[in-house]
Amino acid sequence: MKKPFILSAAFLLLLSLSYCGSARRGAPTHPPLNIESQAVAQGEVVFMSHCNKCHPGGAAGLGPAINNKPLPGFLMKFQIRKGLGVMPAFKEDHISDRELDNLVAYLKELRSAKE
Amino acid sequence: MKNNYWLLILLLLIASGCYKILPSKGGGQTDSPTETRTVNPRDIALPEGYTAEAVATGLTFPTAVAFDEQGQLYVIEAGYSYGEVFLEPKLLRVENNGNLATVATGQKNGPWTGVTYHNGNFYVAEGGQMTGGKLLRISPAGNISTVIENLPTLGDYHTNGPVAGPDGKLYFGLGTATNSGVVGPDNYEYGWLKRHPQFHDIPCQDVTLTGQNYTSEIPLDTKSGKQTTGAYSAYGSATTQGQVIKGSIPCSGSVLKISPEGGKMELVAWGFRNPFGLAFSPGGTLYVSDNSFDDRGSRPVWGTGDYLWKIENGKWYGWPDFSGGIPFNGDRFSPPGNKAPQPLLAQHPDKPPKPAATLGVHSSSNGLDFSRSNSFGYQGEAFIAQFGDMAPGVGKVLSPVGYKVVRVNVENGVVTDFAANKGKKTAPASKLNTGGLERPVSVKFSPDGQSLYIVDFGIMETGKNGPEPKLKTGVIWKITKS
Repeated sequence: MKKPFILSAAFLLLLSLSYCGSARRGAPTHPPLNIESQAVAQGEVVFMSHCNKCHPGGAAGLGPAINNKPLPGFLMKFQIRKGLGVMPAFKEDHISDRELDNLVAYLKELRSAKE
Repeated sequence: MKNNYWLLILLLLIASGCYKILPSKGGGQTDSPTETRTVNPRDIALPEGYTAEAVATGLTFPTAVAFDEQGQLYVIEAGYSYGEVFLEPKLLRVENNGNLATVATGQKNGPWTGVTYHNGNFYVAEGGQMTGGKLLRISPAGNISTVIENLPTLGDYHTNGPVAGPDGKLYFGLGTATNSGVVGPDNYEYGWLKRHPQFHDIPCQDVTLTGQNYTSEIPLDTKSGKQTTGAYSAYGSATTQGQVIKGSIPCSGSVLKISPEGGKMELVAWGFRNPFGLAFSPGGTLYVSDNSFDDRGSRPVWGTGDYLWKIENGKWYGWPDFSGGIPFNGDRFSPPGNKAPQPLLAQHPDKPPKPAATLGVHSSSNGLDFSRSNSFGYQGEAFIAQFGDMAPGVGKVLSPVGYKVVRVNVENGVVTDFAANKGKKTAPASKLNTGGLERPVSVKFSPDGQSLYIVDFGIMETGKNGPEPKLKTGVIWKITKS
């Protein structure tokens, strides 16, 4: 009972702390993203088609920022496939499994590109 | 470990329920209104090697620039702004020292939304809030004549453009009367429904309706009490299933073309909402920026991005039943706590294509131009000015959207910020208390392709009283590569 409570508190703290940092990434406010792998490059195209409109550049807009959330890759996929709250679900007819892998690779690259 | 992940999922689910109670934080929403503006190019972030300078300040509602054959810079002031501010629109010459000289003054029928210089004359799109949209020809001496008039843009959106095509014709856009096809309370708040109570959207060809109707009540003098209104119909006019609405040209949400001498208009494409920016790529293909649906009015639509479209002749692009090529046939576009928009058309004229690029929801992605020069860089990419959200009137945003210039690789749809204010978040300069960008409304490359001019409309707050634009806060920025 104690362990879940500590984990919950730690996670909520992490979430609230994450709002303190800027979610902006890449040019022109930061160095350009380093997109070397084909998977990340293809993931960027998927991101632009489906995600960028609500999370411009991964920052907040219509929806919340996603660059400053410590979500592991499999939970990103879970959220994208199932939807969450007002965020719609993106099934295979919108984003294929391969595209989803590439999208998560890009999201991780985007999130880590702070400096 | 597995249990911990389920806990994370649970916490995320709890957090996701907060959206409805979160306040809107649009860029124009401020607790400290301002009437003045500071200008400091160093507050604008640009890619390495680029510099910004302000070449003109103190403009009132500037919307576009053009260059004559000598490379002289001109700017138009709109003469109308959301917030129901009516002034005289103007064509101004921008001297090298930043001084402004009036070339021509128009009538209070703005906004003047765009200008192009073509074969020795200026061509201006006049919005038409009072007497309908027009294309005007203005000689270098300032004489104004009409190319075409009585365009059906008395509503939410206006006559836009124009741009000269490879065929020598003028291409221009006509915005829709309404957010999503149904006249209602939001149009009353905009102001035009009081002036033109019979005005509504017009399709470009015959359409058959599903018969969806919407009930609303506004204190309109001619139609008070509860009213039922259908698609493509005047406020208070219900429609029936299978009813056919006759199409005609000119029509709402369309791109048309006409000879600079006037004459018959030709349909280029339709099914847009507000086709604001028009530009031909270096290869001669027409691209159009389109402001997408808002969460307002009788038929609110949620979560639709603005779009950049590659234009195919004669094509229908989806308004009022699709967004970005996706049909309204599920819950995807339902506003939080509201029901999803139902289709208005029983048969769709076409299958809309996918957009060339998807831009931020409520970013108000407006004027665009293509880089044609390797010395400036990003040759072949589209640069788009993002006016920025008008939340909460258009719907809620969790953070300001737009207020910058982006560049788009039109081959793969990748959007990258080009010019944006420095700071922890994207926002207009007045919200950041800096001297950078406020509301970029259009961009234009100089004839030699070496410089990008950004037309910055100026401060527009969007508080409880609706849009409140500030006079004499417009700026023209010039970006060069050093």
